[in-house]
Amino acid sequence: MLTARLEHEQEPVIYLAGEMDLDCVDLLRETVEKVGEGADMIILDFADVTFIDSSGTGIFVRLCLDLQVAGVKLRARSIPPVVAQVFDMLKVYALVGDEVFPS
Amino acid sequence: MQHLPSRRPPTLRVFRYRDGATSLQNVVGDGDLPLPEADLLKWARDALDQQTFVAQTVPFEGTTHSNELCFIPRDDHCDILSIHADSRRRHHGDHRRSLLEILNDLAAAVACGRLRFLDPDELAQELALGEAVLECPLTDSATVATARTDVTDALEHLGFSRERREETVLCLSEASTNAVMHGGGRGTLRLMRLDGRARMVVADRGPGLGFMNWFEAPGGSQASMGYGYHIILEHIDDVALSTGPGGTTLILDQHPRRPEVTPSC
Repeated sequence: MLTARLEHEQEPVIYLAGEMDLDCVDLLRETVEKVGEGADMIILDFADVTFIDSSGTGIFVRLCLDLQVAGVKLRARSIPPVVAQVFDMLKVYALVGDEVFPS
Repeated sequence: MQHLPSRRPPTLRVFRYRDGATSLQNVVGDGDLPLPEADLLKWARDALDQQTFVAQTVPFEGTTHSNELCFIPRDDHCDILSIHADSRRRHHGDHRRSLLEILNDLAAAVACGRLRFLDPDELAQELALGEAVLECPLTDSATVATARTDVTDALEHLGFSRERREETVLCLSEASTNAVMHGGGRGTLRLMRLDGRARMVVADRGPGLGFMNWFEAPGGSQASMGYGYHIILEHIDDVALSTGPGGTTLILDQHPRRPEVTPSC
């Protein structure tokens, strides 16, 4: 199960924890909606994500692309190896753009 | 005389030629043969005699339709993979791989012996093997998550390293999610022990696999199945598949350690 905690730091940061699978679609969208209008950047922190599959990856990619269309920059940080391997395999960096993953 | 295909979405068909046979066996898919049987038999015999991979593109004259065919010799038989493609539709958006790439991926996995398409008799034989370790229902995403946890624990007992467990459970998650999403909502997972390997059998009673969903990129129109089978073919040592109108069974055999890759693959 995935949990998401929203913190308003310099930018709004969503701290994800747990498993990102098919089930996380509503949670992610609802949490992003809580950020509200006016934010031009949202940060997703993956440090405590323990598992992701192609469904979870697909939901993340869809969210990125939708936010890009809406003019909101999404940035992903603290990607653990278990997530990075799947993102790599599924060519996520090419799909959403390298700028989503600032080094 | 070739018949123009109906306006169905492109689908994968698999036929099998057994050495000396006078007709082809239908292994995946149904309906008319994509080409006259005599042509397919000749190409299959050639592939088997010469033990060579044969690819054929057979266009339907005056149209954008074609049959893409791969003939893959395996021991005493030749598997024939066929995709009926409309070249105008070959690319579905920037990120979607072409049907031909899908066909080549599947054919390469069959040629390497990592993917087998099972007919009903072969499926029955395979399902009789192994010693049951655990069984989980697959009805929704919560049961898939439970299956991941239970299988992770069981694989540890079977001597799988952490890295190996992670990639195996990822593949299990892909197969199980597919069974839940497209398999009629009542799937099962069985974990077996078989000759020092773990065997995971994911079965559902859905309408059969829609192959063209297999390789959709993440974030495509259908977030559920992005590249799931790409991951499975990449990480699982031996994959066997039976699919048809009565349901789909996927068998994933995994050694505790990653085998040495053979040079031909």
